[in-house]
Amino acid sequence: MTDSIVSFSGVTYAYRGDWLQRIQALHAVDLAVPTGCAFGFLGANGAGKSTSIKLAMGLLTGHQGDIRLFGQPIGSPALRQRLGYLPEQPYFYENLAVGEYLDYLGRLSGLERSGLTAAKDRVYQLLDLGDLRGRKLGSFSKGMRQRFGLAQAILHQPDLLVLDEPFSGLDPLWRARFKDVMALERQRGATLFFSSHILSDVEDLCDHYAVIDHGRVLEQGRLADLFGQAPLILTASGPAPAEAKPGAEGTWTLEFPEQERAARLAALPTGAQVLRLERHRLGLEDWFVARIRDVHGAGKRLGDDV
Amino acid sequence: MIITIVAGATFREAVRSRAFIGLLIIFAICALLSRIVGWVSSTDGHIVTTDLVLSLQSLIGVLVAVATGTALVQTEIQSRTLYTILSRPVERWQFVVGKFLGLAAALAAGQAAMALLGLAWLWVTGAEVHGWLLLACAMTTLEVLVMAAVALCWTALSSPLLAAVLGLATYAAGHAVASLPDLMHHLKGGQQIVAVTLASLIPNLGEFTYRNQAVYRLPLGLHDVLQHLLYGVAWCGLLVTITVAVIRRKQL
Repeated sequence: MTDSIVSFSGVTYAYRGDWLQRIQALHAVDLAVPTGCAFGFLGANGAGKSTSIKLAMGLLTGHQGDIRLFGQPIGSPALRQRLGYLPEQPYFYENLAVGEYLDYLGRLSGLERSGLTAAKDRVYQLLDLGDLRGRKLGSFSKGMRQRFGLAQAILHQPDLLVLDEPFSGLDPLWRARFKDVMALERQRGATLFFSSHILSDVEDLCDHYAVIDHGRVLEQGRLADLFGQAPLILTASGPAPAEAKPGAEGTWTLEFPEQERAARLAALPTGAQVLRLERHRLGLEDWFVARIRDVHGAGKRLGDDV
Repeated sequence: MIITIVAGATFREAVRSRAFIGLLIIFAICALLSRIVGWVSSTDGHIVTTDLVLSLQSLIGVLVAVATGTALVQTEIQSRTLYTILSRPVERWQFVVGKFLGLAAALAAGQAAMALLGLAWLWVTGAEVHGWLLLACAMTTLEVLVMAAVALCWTALSSPLLAAVLGLATYAAGHAVASLPDLMHHLKGGQQIVAVTLASLIPNLGEFTYRNQAVYRLPLGLHDVLQHLLYGVAWCGLLVTITVAVIRRKQL
């Protein structure tokens, strides 16, 4: 897994609950985030996304299994110089101003005073924080804190950007800006590893994904491969096979998986005229909901069969 | 380097907090009003005012230390402000030591401000201002720093509210320990051993109380002052070390 910038091998982790109770949060998690990719980490609430991220950041300890960053075991402070982290719903010291806070965190990340000014100017520009540089963070709204959170994460131009629900609390305009900034960071050469509930954003940004549920990784891979699994839809006219569905103006449609393409086309009735053969547009959100429901029935809509 | 960066930010955050500024204002008001007690006192009014001002400095200093010390690390954990710090090349022990040093610097600055204000007011009211008072203020500062370390340690082991209660209980017990030698002859063999053992687990805060000596200009030995200084520094070191050991294992 040397080409993985983040890797989990058989990672198991349990929280301490009340008294002697242990709450199993992760079960033998295997995860590999390829270097240079944009990786979407998907899962329902409480699935284990934030726990996995916190373990990788070294904020939680006591796990079993192997976690590596940049191919090396976590724990070395030097590794953390190369990563930027935006926690879920971040909070910051209330009495420090934006500029002071960035100075503080930048210096902790190893930036020299000379480089700090340029680094701050860059994030001021990217996240429109220039006019707020003298304002204390205690007066910030949730969305503004999120903007500052991303600013501090990218301040030192890290090689790995770990973002836990980066779009939380943002209006549509700032969601779009965040996507732009994340795309720019990727262009710069950073690997993006982020969790999100807003799957359309994951779809826009990511090329790799993993789904975690109840502390188990259900699947992971390339998003293109996932979309490649979407069924084909054949639209034709003339004689129709028995399983075809009638369409408009004498046409009919037939849905079948990619693997059956050749057999299905060969088996069309004589005289059938193919009008279109296209891939069904798979929405990540629909796929995700179906995938999670398949496993344990989470998030069933009211009125659905139980 | 990391420690000084953390300490610097902690200092700025602490001296700007409402609790810190509010308690300084309360000290200023109480110090000004203390002269009234001096006027109505049947004994030397200046001595009473001086004693009151020094006592206020100690009491308010300890309250600030306990309030900010208990919030120092637990609030960081609860509000997750430390996530963006510990995800950088910062070890947990550096974070704790930096936080304590930053808080200690803020508390020392608060004590200096209170001492300046208090002594200036005493001078304005005509009370005698001399070097012993400065020494008493310095030793009060040391007491406040020990209390900050106590609060920090309790907060690592419990919740902020419980830590505040335990911190104030330690303050009371720490001053009670100073009276232990006078009580020893009332205790029997086994009780004496228990009392001495318990007393050794609590910092003797009486070692930092120089108010009477300063107000009445009683003789002071340099050796004693240095010994008490080292005693205070040792307790701070021990308590911060315990805090580091606990925080290193803490799940954030």
